[in-house]
Amino acid sequence: MKKWHHRHRPLDWIRLILLNLFFLVLCFIVVVPILYAVNISFSGAADSLSTATFFPSQFTFENYRKILFDYPFFTWLGNTVLLALGTTLFTLIPAVFGAYAFASKRFHGRKFMLYVLLVLNAFPAVLTMFALFRLFKDWHLLNSFWGLIVIYSGSLTIFSIWNMKGYFESIPSPIQEAAKIDGANEAQVLFQIVLPLARPAIIVTSILVLISVWNEYIFATTFLTGEGSYTLAAGLYTLQHNDYTRLWPLFAAGSILISLPILIIFYAMQRYMVSGLTAGGVKE
Amino acid sequence: MKSKSQTKILKKALPWLYLLPALVLVAVVVVFPIGYTGYISFTNMSLYHWKDYGVVGFRNYARAFSRADSEFLKSFFVTLLWTVVNMVLQVSLSFLIALGLNAPGLRLAKVYKTILMIPWALPGYVSILLWRVGVFNGEFGLLAKLAMLFGFGKTNFLMTYWGAFFSCLILNLWMAMPFMITMIDGALQSVDRSLYESAKIEGAGFFRTHIAITWPSIWPIIAPAVALTTFVQFKQFDIVYLLTLQPGGNTGAGLQTVITLAYTTAFASSNYGLSSAISTLIFLIILALFALLSRRAFKEAVL
Repeated sequence: MKKWHHRHRPLDWIRLILLNLFFLVLCFIVVVPILYAVNISFSGAADSLSTATFFPSQFTFENYRKILFDYPFFTWLGNTVLLALGTTLFTLIPAVFGAYAFASKRFHGRKFMLYVLLVLNAFPAVLTMFALFRLFKDWHLLNSFWGLIVIYSGSLTIFSIWNMKGYFESIPSPIQEAAKIDGANEAQVLFQIVLPLARPAIIVTSILVLISVWNEYIFATTFLTGEGSYTLAAGLYTLQHNDYTRLWPLFAAGSILISLPILIIFYAMQRYMVSGLTAGGVKE
Repeated sequence: MKSKSQTKILKKALPWLYLLPALVLVAVVVVFPIGYTGYISFTNMSLYHWKDYGVVGFRNYARAFSRADSEFLKSFFVTLLWTVVNMVLQVSLSFLIALGLNAPGLRLAKVYKTILMIPWALPGYVSILLWRVGVFNGEFGLLAKLAMLFGFGKTNFLMTYWGAFFSCLILNLWMAMPFMITMIDGALQSVDRSLYESAKIEGAGFFRTHIAITWPSIWPIIAPAVALTTFVQFKQFDIVYLLTLQPGGNTGAGLQTVITLAYTTAFASSNYGLSSAISTLIFLIILALFALLSRRAFKEAVL
């Protein structure tokens, strides 16, 4: 590698400059829609309709004030947080036990069950939405947070089991065996040895589940129709839905507020996002 | 003796006891609705037959396949086209970009990577709605502004079939490529560098080197991610739905993937029997895809 640097010929310089130019243009194309939304969110109402560019002619926080205080933004936020936390709890408990069973027990039907879960996970949830909608209507579970939490948990449990299984398997079984020889019972092995060691995987999976719920809109807008039970997704959806010509700056401000926490979490745990996605899929 | 056989039974049952909560949840929320969808597909359930529906045999399936009455076949072929075009573009472009990011001497590679990841980090529906208004809108979308700058009239690409197809395609690449670039970039780190030296000595050019050496070395590593992404493309719903089909915002492009067709047949046209038949057909297609992807390959890769 070092040799390479010593032998920089003019051709290499030109190549590097072209490559940098390419990436600068690519990055610009990637962020243009976002920059535009950021600009609109800080602009007065007039700018959004003009041929305005990337710098607001008058800089204002008015759109943020409006979306936060003239709209029930904090109710939406509360509902979203409630749903996200409820789903995480309702998903992680069954999934942790499931992942533990798949990772450290060998039993008849294990591979078959794993395969079935994989196939079920490939079925798009939207396709059973009507069946669920009808059942929930008959059972009076529409507009109920519990109903939606149970729906989310169903598919996220499969994802979570697959996401955690790999990490659970990496916990050396000699540790578990040694504890058993020392007289620890099944529950002690699980709660005092395996779970503490698996904590990173459980935390990362919890965050991924939280994000999935935060980012979900189609079930949220179909199953929670009362305005008091809107989530952030449903609220934002109605903003762009009704008269978006007038509400576009507000919508841009709302989008940025909703995206910021997710952006921060994403970059804070980027390494785990990638490894979490591949841990289930690739053997090291 | 008795206690010994009891412990043996307990030992056998123990894994299933651990699995019980998860399996019950999945059975109730995932498996049962699939079965119920299958059942509805054999009935004439609709807005007018909400309670007094009856079993009609395969009539909904016949409708799905008769060209005059239903869009299923058309949407199926478009979905296949969508999946193939997306995968080819995504994998080849991501491969080139990842190679560029790994070019020796590119000091800003980390900065570029960080910026290129932004679309992945944003909530999907936020991105789509931002593009719907900020890029594609005929009044103040960036594309319309660009078109006006060059003297063209107001244009809304979402209003024609292929205009909508390519708009959705561009947005999908924007949203999905960061994941593929990351996967390929990760795989590139494991390529044996000494192979490049010998290729250089033998005078192989850029394309030959990367097709003959790089691609074969990374393919086994990225194959699971590519398989996963293929399913994700096939299942794509949000982009097409939010850009062109949402109630009140239907652009009239008529673009439907199989999934959006199943959804709008139920929630817009209230034809629940037909919608469930389409859903059931999609389930069968996915099962067939799984069978094609060979159980053995899957087991080696993931189990």
